[in-house]
Amino acid sequence: MNYIDLIRQSEDLVTAGMSACQGCGAELCLRRVLQVAGRNTILSIPPGCMAGAGVVGWNFDNGLKIPVHIPLLDNTASFLSGVTNMYQRKNRPDVNIIAFAGDGATADCGFQSLSGAAERGEKLLYICYDNEGYMNTGFQRSSTSSKGSRTSTTPVGKVQDGKSQNQKYMPLIMAMHNVEYVATASPSNMKDMVDKVTKGIQASKKGFAYIHIFSPCPTGWGHETDQTIEVARKAVKSNFFPLFEVEQGKWKLLDNKNPIPVSDLLNLLRKFSHLSPDDIAQIQELVDKRMDLLRKLSAA
Amino acid sequence: MSKKFITPVGDEGIYTLDTGSWRTFKPVMLKEKCTNCGLCMIFCPVGSITGDENKIYEIGYQYCKGCGICARECPTKAIIMVRESIE
Repeated sequence: MNYIDLIRQSEDLVTAGMSACQGCGAELCLRRVLQVAGRNTILSIPPGCMAGAGVVGWNFDNGLKIPVHIPLLDNTASFLSGVTNMYQRKNRPDVNIIAFAGDGATADCGFQSLSGAAERGEKLLYICYDNEGYMNTGFQRSSTSSKGSRTSTTPVGKVQDGKSQNQKYMPLIMAMHNVEYVATASPSNMKDMVDKVTKGIQASKKGFAYIHIFSPCPTGWGHETDQTIEVARKAVKSNFFPLFEVEQGKWKLLDNKNPIPVSDLLNLLRKFSHLSPDDIAQIQELVDKRMDLLRKLSAA
Repeated sequence: MSKKFITPVGDEGIYTLDTGSWRTFKPVMLKEKCTNCGLCMIFCPVGSITGDENKIYEIGYQYCKGCGICARECPTKAIIMVRESIE
C-alpha cells in the first residue's frame, strides 16, 4: 500500500490536543509511528517532551488511546524488557512493545539500560526522537547536541562559544551492538520513515530494534514553526543527519552524491547563529568524516 | 468504554487541550489549486488534516495550532496562511 493511503486510513491514536509546541517534530513523529504500529501496541515514554506534553496522561486522564507507561529517565529499556518477557511467556508475540524516548533518555541517562537490553536481544523496538538537548526543561545540553550549539548550559559569551564537544553518534553505537535492526529516519523523508518503522516492528518480534529519528525543535533551535520539515530535509541533504539502516548486519546507506553545504542548514538555526566561517568549516569536516566512515562500513 | 480502549482510561477519558486557541494565523486551502496529493496530511504534526476515501483532504480547525508547515510544504501552494480575526 502507498504510504499516504496507509497514513490516511489508519486511526490517530494520540490525543487531538496536546501541549507540544507549534511545529513540533516529535509530535509529528509520534503520531506517524503510532499510525503505523496500530492499536495492538504498548508504549513507554520516559520523562521528556512527549511525556511533558501530556501524552502519558494528566490528572487521571489518558493521553493515548493505547496503554502507555512513564518509566524513569534511566530505566526505559529495562522496564520494557520485563514487559516484553511477560508477553512472550503469555504467548502473545503479536503485541508491539515500543519505547518512544528523547535523546537525553537514550544517550545520557538511559544508556546503561538500553545497552543492556540491546545486548540481551530483548524483543522490543526502541525509538529515539533526537532533538539534540533536554528541550522539555529549557534546552540544556545533552550528549547528542551537535558541536557549536548554543544551549542554556553552554551559552555564547566571553568564556565559551556554545558546546565545545562533538556529539555522541548514537545510531552507530547501537549498530555496533549487533542487534536485529538499526535505522535512522527523518520526518522529511516520510516514506522512508514509514518503511523503517514497519521493518523495525517486524524485527522487534525476533530481537532488539532501534530507530533514531531526527526531530527539529522550533522553540529550542530557533527556527520558524513552518520550517520544521525544511530543516529536517536540509539535514539529510547536507549529510548532517545521514539516513542508513542495518538489517542483521547488512548495511544500506542513502548516499547523497551531491550534498549541499552544511552551512545551508546551520544558517537556518538561531542556535548556530554565532558560528564563524572557521567554525562552520570545522563542522563540515566532522560531517564529511562521519559520512566517509559510514560509506566504508556500508561497502564492507 | 471497555470496547473503545484496551486499558481503562481516567475519570474524564482522554486528556485534550484546546490547542486551536493558540493560533494567530490559520491555514486556508484553495481547492482550485489542490491536487489532492496528501502531503499536507503527512506533514501535519497535529493530525488536523484528514482525507476521505476519495482522497479529498480537509483542514479541521478545532485543534490546528497554526504552525504553517502545510502551507510551506504544499507543492502547488494551495494552502495560504490568513491572520485570525476576532469576530
